[in-house]
Amino acid sequence: MATDISRIRNFCIVAHIDHGKSTLADRMLEITHTVDERMMRAQYLDRMDLERERGITIKAQAVRLVHEGHELNLIDTPGHVDFTYEVSRSLAACEGAILLVDAAQGLEAQTLANFHLARDAGLTIVPALNKIDLPAAEPDRRAEELAHLLDRDPHDILRISAKTGAGVEELLAAVIAHVPPPVGDASAPLRALIFDSAFDTYRGVITYVRVHDGTLPSHARIRMFATGVESDAEEAGVMAPEATPVDALGPGEVGYLVTGLKDVHHAKVGDTITLAGKHAATEPLPGYREPKPMVWSGLYPADGNDYPVLRDALDKLKLSDSALVYEPESSQALGFGFRVGFLGLLHMDIVRERLEREFGLELISTAPNVEFHVFRADRMTVVHNPAEMPAGGDHDRVEEPVVYATIITPAEYLGAVFELCQARRGELVDMSYLTPERVEVHYVLPLAEIVFDFFDQLKSKTRGFASLDYEPWGFQDSRLVRVDILLHGEPVDAFSSVVHRDKAYTYGKQMVERLKELIPRQLFDVAVQASIGSKVIARETVKAKRKDVLAKCYGGDITRKRKLLETQKKGKERMRRVGRVDVPQEAFIAALRVDEGAKKR
Amino acid sequence: MSTSAEPAGIYVHVPFCLTRCGYCDFNAYAGLDGLKPRYLAALLREAELAGPGWAGTSFTSVFLGGGTPTTLAPEDLRTLLAHLRTVFDLGDDAEVTIEANPDTVTELSLAAILDAGYGRLSIGAQSFDPAVLTALERIHQPASVRAAVAAARGVGYGNVSLDLIYGAQGETLGSWTHTLEQTLALAPEHISAYALTIESATPLGRKVAVGEAPPPDPDLQADLFLGACELLREAGYVHYEVSNWARPGFECRHNLGYWERRPYVGLGAGAHAYRDDVRWWNVRPPEAYLERVEAGELPIGGSESLDPSDAYLEEVFLRLRILEGVPASWFEPARYEAFVASGLLQDDLGRLVPTERGLLLLNELVLGLTA
Repeated sequence: MATDISRIRNFCIVAHIDHGKSTLADRMLEITHTVDERMMRAQYLDRMDLERERGITIKAQAVRLVHEGHELNLIDTPGHVDFTYEVSRSLAACEGAILLVDAAQGLEAQTLANFHLARDAGLTIVPALNKIDLPAAEPDRRAEELAHLLDRDPHDILRISAKTGAGVEELLAAVIAHVPPPVGDASAPLRALIFDSAFDTYRGVITYVRVHDGTLPSHARIRMFATGVESDAEEAGVMAPEATPVDALGPGEVGYLVTGLKDVHHAKVGDTITLAGKHAATEPLPGYREPKPMVWSGLYPADGNDYPVLRDALDKLKLSDSALVYEPESSQALGFGFRVGFLGLLHMDIVRERLEREFGLELISTAPNVEFHVFRADRMTVVHNPAEMPAGGDHDRVEEPVVYATIITPAEYLGAVFELCQARRGELVDMSYLTPERVEVHYVLPLAEIVFDFFDQLKSKTRGFASLDYEPWGFQDSRLVRVDILLHGEPVDAFSSVVHRDKAYTYGKQMVERLKELIPRQLFDVAVQASIGSKVIARETVKAKRKDVLAKCYGGDITRKRKLLETQKKGKERMRRVGRVDVPQEAFIAALRVDEGAKKR
Repeated sequence: MSTSAEPAGIYVHVPFCLTRCGYCDFNAYAGLDGLKPRYLAALLREAELAGPGWAGTSFTSVFLGGGTPTTLAPEDLRTLLAHLRTVFDLGDDAEVTIEANPDTVTELSLAAILDAGYGRLSIGAQSFDPAVLTALERIHQPASVRAAVAAARGVGYGNVSLDLIYGAQGETLGSWTHTLEQTLALAPEHISAYALTIESATPLGRKVAVGEAPPPDPDLQADLFLGACELLREAGYVHYEVSNWARPGFECRHNLGYWERRPYVGLGAGAHAYRDDVRWWNVRPPEAYLERVEAGELPIGGSESLDPSDAYLEEVFLRLRILEGVPASWFEPARYEAFVASGLLQDDLGRLVPTERGLLLLNELVLGLTA
């Protein structure tokens, strides 16, 4: 029988990486005897998926603790700015959030951003300072900081050490006392929120759900609101912390559901599960959103013959990554490939790495770009590939995505932060002092600027002390132009980029200088040009090669010399031909690498 | 026994040197002089072991290279050549070349070497610019080259070749022109001029790799090459291979054998041999070579059998090196038309022959023709 709803507490922990979230979860598992003392080890939940050999092989996104007659559901939240929407859905499954802050480090931008999300979602905030046992801890000062943020008395801030367990009991008591129980109508038709989903090789798509109304039975014909897909669910259960099947999940409860689906795109985060047939709910839970790629990049197999391998690999990855979108495209320079959309740079790195590691592919990826809205004669075109931008200003206006960025920095680096944000076309929104030493700054910044090495620059200009978080903030008009790169008069589509007009010259000059070093000398002079439309804005010349011959070739040299020629021949075969110019793979890879050029500056 | 109708050559490797030069990656050693008696004996023994395999082949050239063959005593050199004549069918008019370091020869020794039958003398001059010689770590001075040539002429040498290296650190078009003029003043019958090549496994190669020495500038080397072509042409020398010029009739018969893909036998540590699309080579370290031969074995360290495509590639790049060219009919016109149009190849009555600019880009030509 389901737990009495008044005894359920659904909560999450909002914390910066390294502020002790996993250690706090460990203590909670111990104190509530959820994990036997002898089985306990550090970072228990994080390690589960690695160590398990069979059964459900995914992370415990929500773990059930039983404490003092209450059912406590601890719901995990993703810890990266790429996954803001996923965070918001996890929060939507909770009524409360522990705001956990390192008593030495203080608030970080990501914690702050997630705190705002939690507060805006109506969650009850239970603040706590962690690591009070550390010599560097400044609990009084940090308590002031938090109290100021929450508009509370500093004495209300709990002080704990997740490491030693001090204060954790009190924290659990505070969660039970202050976080309200969920509300739900047991007699209403089933409505369960999917706040995470995963793909298990043996059991297919497994979703993590929060039941709002009605009851989710273990075996039932279910229907997804957004996709309309129906399926026979195979098992409902809770993670305690091992997967434990239950007969049903009642209103307010959190658990997992083995959906019987084979493709995660059919069970998307934020969607609502109801029962199929006449018991179906008529309205979904609010807040569903299609996954929205923010960053795009062209992915091409280094070996053109691997195109089918890449296509199959993407098809397979898509089964377990509902945010992954891609469409085939072809490039004169790189051949056949895909334009792939990602939630952000981290997501891009994860996908690239998985493609290379799990599928043995060697990839060339174009520099990441954002989505542009091109307006011409009242028609809007969405552009994901810079090469598709109209050349030379053949449009009325262009919009680019902007983000609302939260930066927390020590006050001494404020000047450096302003300078960086101004240079990246940022608009200052506001700033406030968290303490006399630490400042919270808000900027609206073009996403394209963030994508281009912003985080590394921020870290290096603040000696690693500033933290950054951002969320989508719509689109704005920008004076953007497409800069093309031409080799011997032939545009190289893979090198086209959309940049702000004021930066076009610098960008073009930098690209041609870089390519001059990367393109091997040919049998003729090769002009390397950057242009906007038909106007050349930068030029370098790769001088014709004049000497390529072995001086000596006697009896003992001939074998070596022949092998050298064969190696040279293979190298040439691997080159891409742009017009008459042979360009090695390495030149493409190096020229398209964002960070290197940025670091050189 | 396979017999070959084509005339063959004998290469003998002498791995001893007075000092080791920084640019050199040959199988050569300083400080191994104690091995000389054993080494000479091993060469004689190896010739005996190899000889039966070459029965029926007539030889028209011998080349003693190194290392520095003139570090061997003239009487040893006499013994060696006499022994080769007993083992191999070596014609009386065979071309017999010995390489010499200018500091290792005197009028006395040269007279003995000539008398022993070594009628062609190849002197490692390298440069007449003291700064360039220092950059090459050569211990001799320009004056020793002049002295060596004078000595050779004095004892009756009528076929002298000078080896030159251009493009080392400090070389300019001016210093190179000076070296060529000094060379021409000595009126050698034959001149080899090599662009300095950096080999990674040499002291100079390491210096370049770590940035202690600049790599040669290929554009400057191209200018130096074209300068040599012009000066030597005006002086009446025939340019008959990428790095070789000769008075008409004094082309090196032995080396032409390599480029015309004629057979050759190799004796000594690391020496290569070739016949009928098979190439094999001796073990490289002198001690290993001695042990194998002294045990009564042929000291073969490795071999390769050329398949038709290997043989074709060698045929093309070697024939292009000697300006004999290759028949245009071997290739689709699309493969060579652009090279002819851009002046890298000449279509000489159906043979494709590299121009001087083409010789400088020979690798590109070979790759373009055979791709």
